[in-house]
Amino acid sequence: MGRLILRRLLATVPVLLLVTAGVFTLIHLTPGDPIDVMMSESADATVKENLRRELGMDQPIYIQYAAWMGRLLHGDLGHSIRNREPVIENVGKRIRPSLQLAGLAMAISLIIATPIGILSAARRNTSVDRVGTSFALFGICMPNFLLALLLIFFFGVKLRWLPISGYTDPLEEPWLGLRSLVLPAITLGLALAAVVTRTLRSSMLEALSEDYVRTARAKGLSEWRVIRHHVLKNALIPVVTVLGLQLGTLIGGAVITEYVFALPGVGRLVVDAVFARDYPLVQGVVLLIAVGFILSNLLVDLLYGWIDPRIRYR
Amino acid sequence: MSRTTSDVNPRGEVSRRNFLRLSALASAGLASGAATLPALAQTAPKKGGTLRVGFYLEASTMDPHLSGSKVDRQIYHNIYEPLIVLDTNLGLKPGLAESWQQPDARTLVLKLRRGVKFHDGTDFNAEVAKFNFNRMKTEPKSVRKGEIASIDTVDVVDAYTIKINLKRPDAALLATLTDRAGMMVSPKVIQERGSELERNAKGAGTGPFEFVEWIKDDHLLIKRNDNYWNKQGGPYLDRIRYRPIPDDTVKLQSLQSGEIDVIDYVQPRDVAAVKADRNVSVLDVPSLAAFAYQLNQTRPPFNSKPLRQAVAYALDLEQIVKGVWLNVGVPANGPVPPTSWAYDKSIPYIKRDLAKVKAKLAEGGKPTGFPFTITTANIPINVQEAEVIQAQLSEAGMQVKIKLVDAATQLSDGNTKNFDMISYQWSGRPDPDGNIYQFFKTTPGMSLNWSGISNPQIDALLDKTREASSREERKKLYGELTRILQDELPMVYIVHPIEPKAFSLRVQGYEPIPDGMMRFRTVWLK
Amino acid sequence: MAGSIRGSDIAEPAPAIARAVTAPPMRERRWVVLRHAARTRLAPLGVVVMLAALVVAVLAPIVSPHDPLKQNLGNVLAKPGRAHLLGTDNVGRDVLSRVVWGTRVSLVAGLGSVAIAVVAGGLLGLLAGYAGGQADGLVMRLMDAVLSFPPLVLALALGAVLGAGLTGVVIALGVVYTPTFARLMRGQVLTITAREYVEAARALGAPGWRIAWHHVLPNAMAPLVIQASLSVAFAILAEASLSFLGLGIQPPGASWGSMINAGRGYLQQAPWIVFGPGAALFITVVGLNFVGDAVRDALDPRLRT
Repeated sequence: MGRLILRRLLATVPVLLLVTAGVFTLIHLTPGDPIDVMMSESADATVKENLRRELGMDQPIYIQYAAWMGRLLHGDLGHSIRNREPVIENVGKRIRPSLQLAGLAMAISLIIATPIGILSAARRNTSVDRVGTSFALFGICMPNFLLALLLIFFFGVKLRWLPISGYTDPLEEPWLGLRSLVLPAITLGLALAAVVTRTLRSSMLEALSEDYVRTARAKGLSEWRVIRHHVLKNALIPVVTVLGLQLGTLIGGAVITEYVFALPGVGRLVVDAVFARDYPLVQGVVLLIAVGFILSNLLVDLLYGWIDPRIRYR
Repeated sequence: MSRTTSDVNPRGEVSRRNFLRLSALASAGLASGAATLPALAQTAPKKGGTLRVGFYLEASTMDPHLSGSKVDRQIYHNIYEPLIVLDTNLGLKPGLAESWQQPDARTLVLKLRRGVKFHDGTDFNAEVAKFNFNRMKTEPKSVRKGEIASIDTVDVVDAYTIKINLKRPDAALLATLTDRAGMMVSPKVIQERGSELERNAKGAGTGPFEFVEWIKDDHLLIKRNDNYWNKQGGPYLDRIRYRPIPDDTVKLQSLQSGEIDVIDYVQPRDVAAVKADRNVSVLDVPSLAAFAYQLNQTRPPFNSKPLRQAVAYALDLEQIVKGVWLNVGVPANGPVPPTSWAYDKSIPYIKRDLAKVKAKLAEGGKPTGFPFTITTANIPINVQEAEVIQAQLSEAGMQVKIKLVDAATQLSDGNTKNFDMISYQWSGRPDPDGNIYQFFKTTPGMSLNWSGISNPQIDALLDKTREASSREERKKLYGELTRILQDELPMVYIVHPIEPKAFSLRVQGYEPIPDGMMRFRTVWLK
Repeated sequence: MAGSIRGSDIAEPAPAIARAVTAPPMRERRWVVLRHAARTRLAPLGVVVMLAALVVAVLAPIVSPHDPLKQNLGNVLAKPGRAHLLGTDNVGRDVLSRVVWGTRVSLVAGLGSVAIAVVAGGLLGLLAGYAGGQADGLVMRLMDAVLSFPPLVLALALGAVLGAGLTGVVIALGVVYTPTFARLMRGQVLTITAREYVEAARALGAPGWRIAWHHVLPNAMAPLVIQASLSVAFAILAEASLSFLGLGIQPPGASWGSMINAGRGYLQQAPWIVFGPGAALFITVVGLNFVGDAVRDALDPRLRT
């Protein structure tokens, strides 16, 4: 197992190289540069040139890339051009809201999806099932920016039950913090719930058609007993893996939700950095997101391989 | 709540008085007079409370000498103080400088206020002022260099008097000193903290509030300076908390739901609804800003003057201001806003004239029209305006494509002159020089003169405006400039927006100054 | 899921897709498809929606009641009524007409980007699976790199480089979806080339590319078709999300997403500006999902639920 992990980890190195080269090239190809954006109302050409030279931006692009890689190999991800703070610190400050949002969204999705998924599978092809699958469809097809707008409109403005913007850390102020995260977490969680419902339903149906279940039924055990003791555990495994895979996407991908609800998360950080052409920040954050994604995939693959010995990778 | 009478007379003149009157009348519950928030007659200001402010953007830096963005200024005007301040009529009043004289056109003597201390306890005096000016001139990353380019040296005459020696006459300098170029920073903080000042401005200013903390993209906190030198009229608030809320609709909804107390700008489309909302009060603040489009003179099609004029005659400014800006603003006759003393109301804005368009098209050799692209920023109101302009121009025979870009690309396209017609918003400066000089002066290389205009008559006039000493003289020169600019058309001016600000009903005592900066010294919470 | 651009390819656990490979041979499959389609009540609904969308898109000039570009500043934000069934927007344009014309944009975005992804991904997967060895390694690393790249950043950056406009978005989305199809194709190729008829063809001396083209490709298409039908729905949603952030079709043209974005500020005063395109978006995506599910169920009885 250890050798497998090592091999897989080594295999990620060329992938990361490609990612860094890709983002470097891409961001440097976009028109505009960070100095112009930072000093938009000033026409001071010499100051701008000085700044550019200081940041090494007057060098040819491959030299800039080599310099960046060199610093990277020493563990230095560079500094944001806009606020001069290390990239690592920038991300560190933003990871907490993103993680909390992702965690809450996953919890909400499980709370919603588990009963619906189980019931749908247990009462297959009845009206309960149809309601369940319709809900799943709805969640997948609903554009999440539209959902966010509607949630804000009803719960924030009309009913005034929940705050519609801003972030309070639940670890510091539990009640206020949770309230500030509820609407965005529902926005993300609903779509997740839809995916989880489908996965749970299909994996439960599969498990229910297994031989040992037929045996248990033949022995006279009640349906509910069968589900609880034999089926559920196995059926949840794919759910866990799906959620695990989504975690990687949620961290860097909840951009629209973060924008609409004004949450200081990682998604907004990287998108704002792209708009501001903050090259080091974009490069560093994309690299970190890619690493996170790859690691979470690796984890899920290994978990899956370990749980189901039939699936082994060469 | 639409006005039925035209706010501009048929000849297209908007008087300054009317502009200010419009704004005052438009505010909630006022009859006439200065535009302030309604204060309960017998209630005296009381201390206390946290004011929660929602802005659209995050600040970039806390160092006023290195700042290049508009949002920073909002914070600066509460924690730092300039030598000279503006009043509600854009008049110059004493700030950290008690009085000033100009013995000759190249000398400015400022007598500084005594008894002022920085938040870190050090004194403000002539040496400090000289230190600040030197820093602005010599610090490699200083963005103020261009603004004080006319300053040669600064001498300390005595402990509270400085003499500024100019390289050339600069009539706009005093107005420039009302903003970042006149803001005094504690030398001790600069020396001890260096570049960390950009993120942490504790102790650095002399203003009615002092910096507490700044958590990027989350909030910026400042608190009352109990040792503020001016013991009258505030500050009252305990703390002010700024929050960046990038989404306009969410920002407004946050105000309406009571999560924040102040927002710096209400979109024209929301103004009517907000005015009808009883939980919120709105103040229409006339601004110094202008919304315009630069026409690229360095390449076809707009290297041809008749074609530029064709565009100007094809635009219906009234329709744009009414349909897009919903009358939250007035049509512009040029770069000088109606709030300015230099505004010449006798110069009408360019009115639509399809016959003239035909003539100009023919003169320019394109009688059946010509295609070009409008580059504009990806903001809802820009998009809407561009679409309306597109429709107006197509009626006149010009086929326009719209190119939406993000801010960085827009700046890049403008700086490299990679555009035909590009949108340009200027937040405005108290002295007309700040709205005019750098846009129209012949400047080789990259500059804010995106259109590339190089006209010796304009250049000469621009220099004269800086040398002239009296306002009357300068006003006449700016009038001449406006007329020439309406003919040469390096920029097509559309509107001088009004910038409505909205407050929760608890907020009292706000005094709006037309530069759009929100100063909270006089504000208290009910 | 609607929140991420990539959507459904992450939704299904790997074994489920792997099992799609073991479908019954060709001849019987057609029967199964039709029988199953007849049984599922939802599939016809999905097909109706899809056909309706196609018809509306193609016949937009005829179907649309007004000129979608015609402004009328005297009649802005009008409520839905006889003259304007879905009301007017903030410059007085007929919302229904814009929704109708927006169908074209959305379908082009959805179909275009998936077409690019299927062709590019399919070819790359075919190459990787069939050639094996170093080519396989290189292609798969490249695909992994694209997959780990945050899709929104990729789309934003590509959009800024390729210039604003629908083309940029379609290409960006095509790139984002390519790895999915490449992986699927590669997996299929690996399984199929192990089958007897391929071995037989090889033994008979047929050249590699011919085997790939005539034997491997047709049999490998099934999962790709399934994935494609699902991806189109997600691509349409993704285009809407991207125009929410300011990328995509340039004004005055409209896509459903850009209409929702533009109408966002008027939600309280004139909600029809948002709900018109919102409903169209939702219905189309749901319909496409029905079709996709039906296709999947039909092509793989084991997954039938």
